[in-house]
Amino acid sequence: MTNARRIRLIALWWLALTALAVLAQHRLVVSGDLRDFMPPPTNADQKLLLDEIGEGAASRLLLIAIGGAAPEHLADLSRGLAQTLRADPQFERVLDGDGDVASLDPALLPYRYLLSPTLDDHVLDTAYLREELRQRVEDLGSPAGEMVKDLLPRDPTLEVVKLAQRWAPRHAPASRDGVWFSPRGEALLLAQTRAGGFDPTAQAAAIAALQNKFAALAHAGTAQLSISGPGYIGVQVGAATRSEAERLSAWGSAGFIVLLLLAYRSFGVLALVALPLLSGALAGVTAIALIFGHVHGITLAFGFTLLGVAQEYPLRVFSHRRADADSATSVREVWPLLRLAIVSACIAYLAFLASGVTGLQQLAVFTIAGLLVAGAATRWWLPELLPRKFRDVADSTWLETLRAGIDRVRRPRWLPWMLLAIALAWLRLASTPLWQNDLAALTPASPALLAREGELRAALGAPDVRYLLVLQAPTADGVLALSERISPHVDQWIAAHAVDDVELPSRWLPSLATQRARQQKLPDRATLSTSLDAALADTDFQPGLFAPFLDDVETARRLPLLTPADFARSPFGARLQAMLVQRDGHWLGLAALSGVHDAAAIAADSSDAIRLLDLKAATEALVAQYRTRILIALGVALALLALSVAVAFRNLRRAWHVLAPMSLATLLAFAVLRAGGVSLSLFHLVALTLAAGLGLHYALFFERRTRDAAEARRTLHATLVCVISALLVFGLLATSALPVLRAIGLTVALGVLFHFVLSIQMARHDS
Amino acid sequence: MPSEAAALIARLARPAPASTAFTEVRFVRLLRKPLVLRGQLDYNGPGQLGKRVDAPYRETTKIAAGAVEVTREGRTPRHFDLQRAPELQALLTGFSALLGGDAERLRQFYTISVVENATTWTLTLAPLTPSQHLRALVVDAAAGEPHCFTVQQSDGDSSTLLLGPLAAKPLPQPLTPAAIAAMCKA
Repeated sequence: MTNARRIRLIALWWLALTALAVLAQHRLVVSGDLRDFMPPPTNADQKLLLDEIGEGAASRLLLIAIGGAAPEHLADLSRGLAQTLRADPQFERVLDGDGDVASLDPALLPYRYLLSPTLDDHVLDTAYLREELRQRVEDLGSPAGEMVKDLLPRDPTLEVVKLAQRWAPRHAPASRDGVWFSPRGEALLLAQTRAGGFDPTAQAAAIAALQNKFAALAHAGTAQLSISGPGYIGVQVGAATRSEAERLSAWGSAGFIVLLLLAYRSFGVLALVALPLLSGALAGVTAIALIFGHVHGITLAFGFTLLGVAQEYPLRVFSHRRADADSATSVREVWPLLRLAIVSACIAYLAFLASGVTGLQQLAVFTIAGLLVAGAATRWWLPELLPRKFRDVADSTWLETLRAGIDRVRRPRWLPWMLLAIALAWLRLASTPLWQNDLAALTPASPALLAREGELRAALGAPDVRYLLVLQAPTADGVLALSERISPHVDQWIAAHAVDDVELPSRWLPSLATQRARQQKLPDRATLSTSLDAALADTDFQPGLFAPFLDDVETARRLPLLTPADFARSPFGARLQAMLVQRDGHWLGLAALSGVHDAAAIAADSSDAIRLLDLKAATEALVAQYRTRILIALGVALALLALSVAVAFRNLRRAWHVLAPMSLATLLAFAVLRAGGVSLSLFHLVALTLAAGLGLHYALFFERRTRDAAEARRTLHATLVCVISALLVFGLLATSALPVLRAIGLTVALGVLFHFVLSIQMARHDS
Repeated sequence: MPSEAAALIARLARPAPASTAFTEVRFVRLLRKPLVLRGQLDYNGPGQLGKRVDAPYRETTKIAAGAVEVTREGRTPRHFDLQRAPELQALLTGFSALLGGDAERLRQFYTISVVENATTWTLTLAPLTPSQHLRALVVDAAAGEPHCFTVQQSDGDSSTLLLGPLAAKPLPQPLTPAAIAAMCKA
C-alpha cells in the first residue's frame, strides 16, 4: 500500500467516525432521567420516588434573586422577567409576588361558602352578620377600602379574601410593590420548569433562556441575576465535573502522546492509536441507539470507562511489530490472546444482559459491541494502515536487561497467600461504611452553592426537595378527608417547629363531607334575608345593596359538591391536581413540606395512611438494590470469564495462573481503598471491573510462553506501555478533588499497579 | 407645567417628620351617608406615611417600603401591598412629592393644573395614564399651607382630608362633596 493511499484511508476512517458520531448524537437520547438508570421500582414508595425525582414539583423549581440596584428598579426587573418567562413554554409557572390570589374563577364564586372554613365555626345569623358589616364600614373608611369595595355587595363576609389568605403561601417573602423581596433586599422569583429537575440538558437550556431573557431586559444595568435550585446546582456541578475531567484528560492525553513518541519513535502511530477505541465506542453508542433509543448519562459514562480496556489493543499491535515479518504476520502472533481476552470479556458481560435491569443491559450492549468492533478494527484494519517505517522494540537493550531482571524476581509461593491474608485483614478492620449509596455525594455541590440555595429556599418559603408527606386513601375524596383529619396534627408540628409549613391538599379543596356540612348550614333565602335586614338596621349601607349576596348563598345551597376533577379545571386546580395521584387502585395525596427542621418527629407520627417519604433515603435504597444486582451480575460475569479462559486453555492450571493474580489484585485494590476509609460506590465497582479487564491482559501476556526472547521483549514492551499509560491517565484523575473522578482514577490506578505486579509474581511459571 | 405651579409646590415643602391633625370625609356610594374620621397624619419622609384614626373607632395605618399595615384595636395587623391600594398610593406619591417640594417627581405621574386666587390656590393632579381607580388628586392650599387633600376616584367616590386648622372646624351641613370643596376653597 502506498503511503498516500494509507493516509487517505486513515483520513477516511476518521471522517467516517465523525459522521457516525454526528449521526449517533442525533439518534441517541441521553437522559438524566433516573428511571433509565435504575432497576424497575419494586414497591409503591420507589414508584412514587422515581416519579417525584423525575417530575416532582419541588425539584423543578428554580430559585431566582435579582440584586444590585434600587428596590423600585429591582421590582421592575422582577416583573419584566416574570412576564417574559411566562411566555416561554419551558416554564410552567412563574411567581414573583403574591399576585391576585383573590381572583377566584367567577363560576366558582358561589362555592366560596363550601371552600372557606367560616361556616365550620359560624352561622350566617343576625349577630354574625352585624359584626361583619360593622367591620366592613371600618374597611370602607380605611386604606383597604377600595380593595373590598367591589366585593362587598356579593361577599359581605369577605370569604374570597379568607380563601386568598388560605391559599397564599404561609411563609411567603416580604413583598414590596407587589414583588417578593429577600431580607437582603433582592427581588425574588420562583420559576417552575416543565422539564424534570434532574434532566441536566433541559435544565441547562431553561437556565440559559432565563439568563438571556434577563440580559435582554431593557435597563438591566448593574442589576445582577442569581439562580439556585436543584436543576441549577445539577447543571453547575455537571459543568464543574466535566471541565475538571476535560482538564485532567487533556494532561493525560498529552502525557500519553509523549509516552507513545518515546515508545515507538513515530508520529504515524498518533493518528492510529485512538481509532480502534473510538470505533468501538461509536459502535456501542450506535448499538444502544438502535436497540434502546435512549440511555442514562451515568450508564454511558460507565460504558466508556469499561471500554477503556480496548485502548490496549493498538498498543499491543504497535509493540509486537517485528522487523522480520510484515505487520499482518506480527498481528497474527498476538491475536489469539487478544481474541481470548475480548471473547471472554464479551461472554462475561452477557451476565449483565441477563440482569433484567435496563441500565445494566445497555451497559452490556455498549461494552460488547464496543469490544468486538475495537478488536476487529485492531485485527483487520489497523495492520494495513501502520506506518511503513518503524523500529522493532525488541532491539532495545534496556528492555532485555529489564526482562532478565523480571525473570530473576523471586516468586515465593507464600507471597500471594500472605497478601490475601493482609487484604482480608484490612477489609475486616475497615471502620467506614462499606457502601456509599448517595450518588450525589460523589459529585458534591460547593458549600457556597448549597448555602445560597438554602438561603433562597428559606426566603421564598419554597418546598423541601427531600421530604414529601404522602397521604393514602382508596379515593381522592378519601385523601381530602384524611388531609382534613390530620390538619390539627400538622398544626402541632408547625407549632413545635418541626416544620415551617405543610401544604395539605385539603387547604385547596375540602372533602365532600365537609362541603356538605357547610352547605347544610347555609340558611334559606327568607331566613337569610330576615337576618340581614336586622343586621343592617343600624348601618348606613344602601338599601338593597346585598341582593347579590342573597343570590349567591341561595345558589350555594343548591350547588352540586365540588369534586377534585371539577376543581382541577379552575385556575388553582393545577395545584391540587399535582397533589393528587392515582396509583395501583388507590389515591395518594402529596403534601409539600417547607422548612423541615425535625424529620424524625414527623416520621415518628407516621402510619400506613400518612407517611413521610424521604426521597434521599428512598433513592439510596434503590441504589443499594441496583448495586446488589450489579454485584450478582459481576459475580456471574467472573464465573463466565473463568469458564471461558479455562475452556480456551483446556488447562485448569494455566487458567489458574491467569485468573488468580487478576482476582487477588482486584481484592487488594478493594482492600487498600477500604483501609484508606473509602466507602464504595457504583463508580468504584465499574473502575474495579475496568482494572480487572486490564489485569486480564497483563496476566494473559505474562502467562504466554514463548521460546523467542525477542518476542518476550515485545510482550514486556507492550505491557509496560499499557501499564504506564493507564497509570498516567488514571493517576491524574486520582489527583482530582472531585470524589467521582478520584474514585475512578484512584481505583483504576491502584488496580493496574497490583495487576501488573501480581501478574509478574503469579502468572509467569516455569513450564 | 406652568412655572407658578412649580413655585407653589416648592413653597409647600416641609421637612420630615411633620404631623398634623385631620378630619377625613369619605363619600362612598355603598353608604347612604359619608364616613367622617378624625385623627392624626404623620409624614416621615418620602414614601413613609402614618395615619392614626381616633374616632369613631381606632385604627392605625403605616406605609413604608411599598407595604401597608393596618392595625385595628384587638385584631392582628393586616398587611397588604401598596400596589393593591391605588388610591392610597396616589395619595402617598402626591403627599411625598408635595411635602418634598418636588415638582419634577409629580410631573412623572401627573398632569398638573393650577387655579390661583388672591390668597388660595388649587392644584389638580390628574394621572398621566388613565387609571381604573384614580381620577384626580386635588390639593387646596392657603398661605403656603396645604388645607385639603382630595382623592377623586374613577367610580365617583371621593375622600377629602381636611388638615390643620380646617380639621377642627365644624363640618358643613348637609355634608356633600360640593360643600366640602367649598370649605376647602374658602
